[in-house]
Amino acid sequence: MEKLKVTFYPYNQTIEVEKGKTILSAAAAGGIYINSACGGNGICGRCKVILKKGVVSTKPSGMLSVKERENNYYLACLTTVQSDLEVEVPPESRLSFDNLSQEELSSQVKNFSKPTQQSSYKSSTAEAFKNLPLVFKLYLELPPPNLDDHISDLERLYRQIRMYHDIPIMQTGLANIRQLAETLRLADWKVTVTLGKRDGTTEIILIEPYDTSQRNYGLAFDIGTTTICGQLVNLNTKEVLSTKMIYNKQAVFGPDVITRIVYAQQDNGLEKLHQAATEGINEMIQKFIQEKNIDLNDITCILCSGNTTMIHLLLRLNPTYIRKEPYVPVANFIPAISAGEVGIKINPRGLLFCVPSVSSYVGGDAVAGVLACGMDKEKELCLLIDIGTNGELVLGNRDFLISCAASAGPAFEGSGVTSGMRATVGAIQKTRINSFTKKVEFSTIGGLKPCGICGSGYIDILAQMFKAGILDRTGKIINQKDWHIRDTQYGKEFVLVEKQDTAINADIVINEVDIENLKRAKAAIFAGASILLRHMGLDFKDVKKIFIAGGFGNYLDIQSAQIIGLLPDLEKERFIFVGNSSLYGARKILLSCADMDKAKEIACKITYFELSVEPGYMEEYIAALFFPHTDLSRFSNINI
Amino acid sequence: MALSGLEIYKLLPKTNCRKCGFPTCLAFAMQLAKKAVSLDQCPFLTPETKKILEESSLPPIRLITIKREDNTLEIGNESVMFRHEEKFYHPTGIGIILNDDLSDGQLNEILEMVKKLEFERVGQRLKIDLLAIRNRSMPERFLEVVEYVIKNTTLPLVYMSENPSILRQALKISPAGSSLIYRATAKNFMEFAQLSKDYKTPLVVSADNLEELSNLTKQFNQQEIEDLVLEVKSDSAAICLWQLTQIRRLALKKKERSLGYPCLVVVETKDKDLDALFATTYIAKYAGIVLLDLFQPEEILSILTLRQNIYTDPQRPLQIEPKLYPVGNAKDDSFVLVTTNFSLTYYTVLGEVEASKVPAYILSVNTEGMSVLTAWAAEKFTADTITEAIHKHNLKEIISRHRLIIPGYVAILSGDLEDKSGWQVIVGPKEAAGIPAFLKNLS
Amino acid sequence: MIKEVIENLPGLIHTVEVGATAQQGGTRSKVIKVGGENALPFLFKEGKIPNPPVIAYEIWDIKPADWPQALGYFYSDVWGDPLEWAEKVVKEYKADLLCLKLMGAHPELNRDIDEEAKLVENILKKVNVPLIIIGCGDDARDNLVLPLCSQVAKGERCLFGEVTQDNYKTLTAAVLADGHNIIAQSPIDINIAKQLNILISELGLELNRIVINPTVGALGYGLEYTYSIMERLRLAGLNQDKTVASPFIGFAGQESWRAKEARAPESEFPQWGKEGRRGYVWEMVTAATLLLAGTDILVMRHPQAVEKVKRYIEEFNKDKEGLCLL
Repeated sequence: MEKLKVTFYPYNQTIEVEKGKTILSAAAAGGIYINSACGGNGICGRCKVILKKGVVSTKPSGMLSVKERENNYYLACLTTVQSDLEVEVPPESRLSFDNLSQEELSSQVKNFSKPTQQSSYKSSTAEAFKNLPLVFKLYLELPPPNLDDHISDLERLYRQIRMYHDIPIMQTGLANIRQLAETLRLADWKVTVTLGKRDGTTEIILIEPYDTSQRNYGLAFDIGTTTICGQLVNLNTKEVLSTKMIYNKQAVFGPDVITRIVYAQQDNGLEKLHQAATEGINEMIQKFIQEKNIDLNDITCILCSGNTTMIHLLLRLNPTYIRKEPYVPVANFIPAISAGEVGIKINPRGLLFCVPSVSSYVGGDAVAGVLACGMDKEKELCLLIDIGTNGELVLGNRDFLISCAASAGPAFEGSGVTSGMRATVGAIQKTRINSFTKKVEFSTIGGLKPCGICGSGYIDILAQMFKAGILDRTGKIINQKDWHIRDTQYGKEFVLVEKQDTAINADIVINEVDIENLKRAKAAIFAGASILLRHMGLDFKDVKKIFIAGGFGNYLDIQSAQIIGLLPDLEKERFIFVGNSSLYGARKILLSCADMDKAKEIACKITYFELSVEPGYMEEYIAALFFPHTDLSRFSNINI
Repeated sequence: MALSGLEIYKLLPKTNCRKCGFPTCLAFAMQLAKKAVSLDQCPFLTPETKKILEESSLPPIRLITIKREDNTLEIGNESVMFRHEEKFYHPTGIGIILNDDLSDGQLNEILEMVKKLEFERVGQRLKIDLLAIRNRSMPERFLEVVEYVIKNTTLPLVYMSENPSILRQALKISPAGSSLIYRATAKNFMEFAQLSKDYKTPLVVSADNLEELSNLTKQFNQQEIEDLVLEVKSDSAAICLWQLTQIRRLALKKKERSLGYPCLVVVETKDKDLDALFATTYIAKYAGIVLLDLFQPEEILSILTLRQNIYTDPQRPLQIEPKLYPVGNAKDDSFVLVTTNFSLTYYTVLGEVEASKVPAYILSVNTEGMSVLTAWAAEKFTADTITEAIHKHNLKEIISRHRLIIPGYVAILSGDLEDKSGWQVIVGPKEAAGIPAFLKNLS
Repeated sequence: MIKEVIENLPGLIHTVEVGATAQQGGTRSKVIKVGGENALPFLFKEGKIPNPPVIAYEIWDIKPADWPQALGYFYSDVWGDPLEWAEKVVKEYKADLLCLKLMGAHPELNRDIDEEAKLVENILKKVNVPLIIIGCGDDARDNLVLPLCSQVAKGERCLFGEVTQDNYKTLTAAVLADGHNIIAQSPIDINIAKQLNILISELGLELNRIVINPTVGALGYGLEYTYSIMERLRLAGLNQDKTVASPFIGFAGQESWRAKEARAPESEFPQWGKEGRRGYVWEMVTAATLLLAGTDILVMRHPQAVEKVKRYIEEFNKDKEGLCLL
């Protein structure tokens, strides 16, 4: 096959590819990630590139306007390389990996954020991290051997350790045993051991000369379908040193769990998905150590929380049977393994732990979420709602726990909607429609000019449009004069911010197709919660605490969410915003073996409930496709 | 009242030991609540718990079975007032009345017609369930007819007489468990009780009002006779409907055990058409058995179809017939949009194609009523199943330009589908709302 | 001691009127009232059922292309002229209510909309029973024809149909302006039925001017779906959900005559019996089942079927008193 050269601007990178491959795959091969919400299937229209030079072959898609086509725009996924090319990737098609500013991050993953109302829930940092972390260091000064005390080096070590911690079973890897004699004598019997909890046993992972016990760092990661969020934690002080967030690079292979499982069945597919995950994580780790000036070898463990499929792909386990009846994962309880085996670069002997999952569609992230909210200890009935792609819901308390996945889709994470973006700098997160000036007032994360709208911004704008009479109950935009509404091929479009006031040199809009997407997402979540409660013979009013988790923003306007029918009509005080509960739970588990045990208990206790086979589900879903709901009496207290 | 899943869970050990075969005690409790599993699967239930659970699961309406050779009729054991609450379980038994004062010739004619009253609909065989022989003439004649019918048919029987001695003779010559006796009243209670005990046959009991009916059944219960069917008289349509409704309500909502039995109605107005309408009525409204003096195929076909409709399971999703549907002025060079046979999906796509004003075809693939994403995840909407549908509905003959538009959500199928079907595959929009713009752009 | 279970439901189905007499500004000889009940069908002991179900005869503005011989037997002498057809049905078959389907307006037949309006005017002059007027089903054409007919029939309080969730604004506006009532059609979906009523009422048309058509599946062709949707809607309405407390209309004729079982000749299916009787039996069994689910207006075709269903309704009603004394 003929090999051709494709040069990508503005990266100035030239990649060699076989003739006939798509521009998107050429870019991916070269490590250039072009936006592709649909995973390269020619339907989202996000992978627009401009052909500067060369010959290509393409397919019609209905996604490019006449003007764009005149200006040599092509969809990278549908266009194949036929000669050497020069291709420009315009800004709107670039996949970005930026960090949140420190304040956004800290508010994103804070314990329980209280935006405008006092939450009655008390969080206590001290209480949460009382026990030992999963990997901890111990500085020992061993009494040197003599004729009366001549036990072996290894027994001496164990004996010393047992003076501090009553650990019955211990292991040490052969490599460590081989070095033991030298290390002990060289360091004058003063060494630091790194001990890792491996399920029922404790392993001596490292034996280092002298006192390195102050340098012990761990990583807590939430591996989401759309975004990966990680934290660097000082395991001694329990302090969070840094938090980062990137798009999950697996997105190029599919926007959701099912498409990725299907991709994994192709030749090399699983390997590619695995690498996309580990690459992203390793890059983040590199950034952590550079930023905080830490030695990679001092990072001794990483704890991953994610849904079942994400963990399978991370560990390169075959996910095929997750989606085939009767929906069986390879493993729910992953034993502690060496991070290196999986391709994660921390200390070469460092350990990788995973939060246990419940079933094919309810994973460790939901378990971590339950742990984080403490709902497994509550006497009152609680409900945890994750307003994310998989829409996990957990209902229960200390007596029982039951969970399902509402499959809402990524709309609330800003994906698949016209001006959508992640909840990061530049995202519109709050809006208000001023009925007098007929303008949309808004605030963005970071306070700078807006680049797009994130989930919480969408929830606000829908509620505001509905209140202002610009939206009818089915989500159709009502053409009113004085408002900036125009017709497009995607139905009517409402302009929130005009081009000149944005940071992207384009209008920020919401159209009827976006609204339909958002409506479906909110309907799936509300219907899922309704069915879950009904299945247990309960009602929303029986729930005393509703925890809201998700990557849709740093806060949530409860009333807006109620006006559109995403959240039930209950007093504000019952709602508690918990942000990224998966990450918070992951950090708790990293820092406490007791919490890892608790996570296992929770995973065993949660009963999985399959929504799609529940007879009333479709109808409940259709009933929720109305603002706020077809059954208006369920929202009788909401004032518009 | 039946216990809810959560209520049952509270009675279980909550150890999640998995011996019952379910991952958690809660999962087991939910199955018990649905009656999908037996109590015995949990080895750790206390005797007290067992007792509570058993009592709450006794059927409020007794199940009555009549069987002859391959023909079994089961009636009763219903649990809801409206089919949409769950479903109606045991289809109403339809019986044709043969009066013993018919001539041999007439009798033969009717039996011949009855043999032909079997129809196939939607994969099910529809037929009548009972033959009811009614005594109007001499006892000898009755027995003659009974013998003749037993010899020449295989359906379960109803013997209609208030004379216990001829009934006894009829039962003597009948196969065990194959007949129902109509009817016992307060007057002939003792003899009928004896009959029932001797031949272990279910009885139809009759009285003037619900109070008396209740007393009568209680009397039978005292004689340890439980297999009873309640007659509801049909002279007045409004009263008949009311009583059928009341009996079901009392059994289900008030746990009135004395009326916890299936009902029987004899429909005999002077107008055959009205008979068909009243049979329809009582089938829909709670009757366990309807006896009719009708046997023309036009009326029986519609009555059996109605019964089939009312007794289908409403919880299976709404499906349309999977086939090729033309929309507007669709011609052989029009596009073909592929979708599932889930009603809502189909109607949504149909609406959008109509709105686009672009004539096209819609190929509805059999996905057992699942929507696009569910069907795809369940491997019912795949390159293979779509290709199969193309062949099954002869698309190659009807459509000259072999192009398919598939829903955007399953774009991933396109390569495979092109290979398997040999048709060009165009990926359509994800949302049906995008169809009008899409079709216009393509044209 | 047996105590009957009487369920007095708290809701009430809206009363919708079709037709206006001279006193009310129209020219109809009487007004048909439907709805107003607060009990389930024929359960007279539990509440009031002031208006028995009514039956409308279906006629078209053009000769129907595919009505079978069983119907042609009655109508072939008049279906070339809708005015004669209307007259026959009212005089000979004593129709209480007429349903005129303007099938000719369909783009494939493209009758002039002014002609259709003129026809409506003439029918109103020819017969004096209340009138239901249905479009051809093509939204664009119906949005032109029906408002014009609505104007022409102003004051007569006709029942116009049908609006759907995708196309309801035009006809609702016309009906509002001209004092008529409206039929809201939904595709055997309880949520859409409800949503549509909410949307219509938010345009200003009161809930008591809406009749719900939940779409009928004929006997053997989805009847049970319609039956259960109707039962659920009716129960919701009687339990005080005003948005679905509307009377129902069921197009029993139109649906049942599509069935193979109603039309196929005996020669093709000898085991099915004679097609002459089979056809109307199919229609009347469909109709009676719909009545049991709460249908208030039946639109039917075969005179024999109509007759029998009328008698069926009478049989129930004649014992109203007797039942209440029980």
